[in-house]
Amino acid sequence: MTTTDDAPAGTIPAPVQARFPDPYEIGTPPGAEGWQDLYPYYNHFLPQRRAVDSAKTWFRNGMHFPEPMPPFDIVTSDSAFMSTGVMNTRVFALPPALGLDVRVLNGYVYMSSLGVDDPERIGRRAQEFAVRVGHYYQNWPALYEAWETKVKEQIAGLNAITVPELGEYEPLEHVLAGRGVTQANDLLVAYQAVLASLDAVWNLHSEMLNMGYAAYLNFLMTVKGHFPEISDQAVATMVSGVDVLLFRPDDELKRLARAAIELDVADAVVAATDFEVLRSALSTTDAGRAWLAEWQTSADPWFHFSYGNGFYHHHRSWSDDPAFPLSMVGEYVGRIRDGQDLRRPIADVEAERDRITAQYRELIPGEHDREAFDQALGLSKVVFPYVENHNFYIEHWYMTQFWRKMREFGALFVRHGFVHEVDDLFFLRRTEIADAVADLQFSWCSGGEPLGPSHWPEIVERRRAVLDVLRAWTPPPALGPAPGAIVEPMTIMLWGITDEQVQRWLAAAAGRPADVLQGFAGSPGVVEGPARVVLTPADLDELLDGEILVAPITAPSWTPVFARIRGAVSDIGGVMCHAAIVSREYGLPAVVGTGNATAAIRTGQRVRVDGTLGVVTILDD
Amino acid sequence: MTELVDVAIDRDGAAVPAAADRREGSAMTGRIVWFETLRLADRPGAGGKCASLGELISAGIPVPPGFAVTAGAWQDVLDHTDLRGRIGDLTATVDARSSAQLRAVQARAVDLVRTVALPSGLEAEVRAAYAELCRRTGRHDLPVAVRSSAVAEDGDANSFAGQQETYLWVRGADDVLARLRDCWASLFTPQAIAYRGRLDRGHRDEALRIAVGVQEMVDAEVAGVAFTVSPTTGDPSVMAVNASWGLGEAVVSGEVTPDEFWISKIGLSVTRRTITHKAHRCVPSPTGRGTCLQDVPAELADVASLTDDLLRELAALAVRVERHYGSPQDIEWALARDAAGAHRFLLLQSRPETVNVAVRQARRDAKVAAAGTGPASYLAVLQNLAATHGRTP
Repeated sequence: MTTTDDAPAGTIPAPVQARFPDPYEIGTPPGAEGWQDLYPYYNHFLPQRRAVDSAKTWFRNGMHFPEPMPPFDIVTSDSAFMSTGVMNTRVFALPPALGLDVRVLNGYVYMSSLGVDDPERIGRRAQEFAVRVGHYYQNWPALYEAWETKVKEQIAGLNAITVPELGEYEPLEHVLAGRGVTQANDLLVAYQAVLASLDAVWNLHSEMLNMGYAAYLNFLMTVKGHFPEISDQAVATMVSGVDVLLFRPDDELKRLARAAIELDVADAVVAATDFEVLRSALSTTDAGRAWLAEWQTSADPWFHFSYGNGFYHHHRSWSDDPAFPLSMVGEYVGRIRDGQDLRRPIADVEAERDRITAQYRELIPGEHDREAFDQALGLSKVVFPYVENHNFYIEHWYMTQFWRKMREFGALFVRHGFVHEVDDLFFLRRTEIADAVADLQFSWCSGGEPLGPSHWPEIVERRRAVLDVLRAWTPPPALGPAPGAIVEPMTIMLWGITDEQVQRWLAAAAGRPADVLQGFAGSPGVVEGPARVVLTPADLDELLDGEILVAPITAPSWTPVFARIRGAVSDIGGVMCHAAIVSREYGLPAVVGTGNATAAIRTGQRVRVDGTLGVVTILDD
Repeated sequence: MTELVDVAIDRDGAAVPAAADRREGSAMTGRIVWFETLRLADRPGAGGKCASLGELISAGIPVPPGFAVTAGAWQDVLDHTDLRGRIGDLTATVDARSSAQLRAVQARAVDLVRTVALPSGLEAEVRAAYAELCRRTGRHDLPVAVRSSAVAEDGDANSFAGQQETYLWVRGADDVLARLRDCWASLFTPQAIAYRGRLDRGHRDEALRIAVGVQEMVDAEVAGVAFTVSPTTGDPSVMAVNASWGLGEAVVSGEVTPDEFWISKIGLSVTRRTITHKAHRCVPSPTGRGTCLQDVPAELADVASLTDDLLRELAALAVRVERHYGSPQDIEWALARDAAGAHRFLLLQSRPETVNVAVRQARRDAKVAAAGTGPASYLAVLQNLAATHGRTP
């Protein structure tokens, strides 16, 4: 008997071991000794807490933190986890779910969810929750509008922070104005202001996100009540907006390609490999200047689009390095000249979504249940623009500015000899940078020599080597005892962690053959092709036409390469992750949340991606 | 080749059509009634099975043509012959706990039913109807199925009621008449007599009412069953189809393990296929009468019995039936192919699917129970919030 299954698999493999590796028994990869120094104590598995922390289940957060963390970059974990935690715990009082504990092991971020067990406390929280969330749902469009303003103010505020020059003298105008307070003090204030801004913006990130997901969750549960076998993919399709901000940067590239053709500068654009060279060349003609003006219009804000997910300093964005958007504009010029219609079939996608929704609705027996369906869907659609669009504002637009601002500090410390390269600053922890700030303040004030130049360069080099070792290490998807049944729907939805996924990870941990990888059906369809493992955005250049992209997580800014690839596979993410959204939009098969595809698959191997079933098969040995 | 018993336990029943399609009351008259004139409301005269087939035809669903020999016809037999009295004498003194006595009564009752002279004109009417059916289908000695069509509601589900006989591949008016009498005689199986013995007078009379359907036999290339909801979860967006080579009786009776297909009603896509090894198929007997089991040619045994295109066509048909009735259906279907190779699906029966109604209710109850505590607690809050704020922008 042969069974082929095009639907999400319903069977759960039998458990093969009761626990994941104990965090306290995992050794340090040779060459990475002392990695703990890269992170603050509050992210350590402290020996003193072994009994407590060994007893908890820790899931790796590879969705946001696919790589080992550079020491400063852990601020993104601090701010993001603090923010999602405070919204669940203190602001909206999600009845059964609090925030998450966070630890770092061999450079990788692990998290353990905190919940409320006491039914009475859950009941009290439910009352608070109803009032607080009710207010947000009732006023959602107005709050979202205000939210956009708040984020833009934060971005403007961040950009307004001045990193002082600390030159030979205090600027004369300060003296003539009788200011008194000096640039040394400005430096401390500026550094604190940048960290405070990051914290604030992540508060904003979580302010509406979890409640947005809660509304979606309500719809999901309502639909699953009627259609227990419905795929998450189908539910997502019913809610998804078609014209979301994440597609806007790609649309801008197409617009610039059309403009290049209309202004008759397309040949220069297609031939260009370096944007600055192109800029110089085009600046000499009216048409060229007109096109550069168009580029500038697109670039701010739409090219503040991270090559990664915005959580790492080295991910950079299109506006930091325009080589990729420039090459894609060139590619789009070629396609337009070939007569291709580059417009996304928005009307078709919308019509298809409405048709599917109507078909499900029609199958619900009873007017009352159909009304509840309409209400749950209606609320989801009210909140969903936020869920879909927040990512561009925070992870891309804001974070691009954040890393730039931090590089201004980096440049300052290079000037004062503390580090050799601007980005070396990110090998210092946040508190170590505060120390370096104090060192620089003191020495600049005294006219003596800072100690930083003697202290930091060696540490930076050692840490760089440690991170290189850690990058080659494969972190387990989870640590500690296997959890009981995972029923908390927010956990399932936000983190893609399900009972089935846990069982798959356990099976993988037990060394089952890994030529078949199970993940989530991100985008339907089946395709075969050679794999290209892309661990960092820098590897994107190597991606060839017709390859299957295999990545820890696919960033929205990679959208244009979806025009080249045949399919996508990711280690991390559920059906609502950006990779899945983009793949569905581009009609590419995608399997997301496989856990270990980047470790199991080698570049060049032929793989089959079944995005309907959520299975990746490695076809070559 | 093994001879298959040509008496199969059949499942009968009628579904209730959506209110808009429901005809109030029965307008049926006569002892012979053609399917296409029947509606569900005609159950008291034509029995559930025939009434349901008529309802399907009225909804434009392809059903093999045929006619019902009504409960009134059987009533005439009882009223206008000495049969009622003679059988009454037989059963009046029987001890329902004695299977030996019941078997003896059955033997004599069956003999009486088989030999009783039918009331004036009835035999001619049946012969004329069969001839008309032959004329309509253009075939001499048309093979037909002769089936009991129970009047009593619980006759649908209760195999003891003795109203569930089906005789396949019956040919010629003489045989049709013989099988008609066999269907009537099936009221006097030991189980049926014992069953009626437990009923009160009114129900006993109703349990004695029986119609018989005479319907063109479909020489099915493939046949099986379709559920218009998921048989495992009751999910109404999912449909399951069982299919195997040959006549559907082999699937219904469990003689073969059929292929199983799952179809999403949204876009009618086939989502899962389990292709079994189908060693046997039920085919018309080479004698021209009855059916037999035959080995499936090796090259077909492991092949899917329906292509995706055919599955979609069948699914669309099943959805139409479900919509017509406004409730999940359990459908028997057959795929026939004419000499030119053109195929067509025919529906042989449709019943309300009852198992999952209970499953769904249980699930709903569990959800309500779980809403009090735990993770579901805030879902209830969210639901209320959605009801207040869930307006489509």
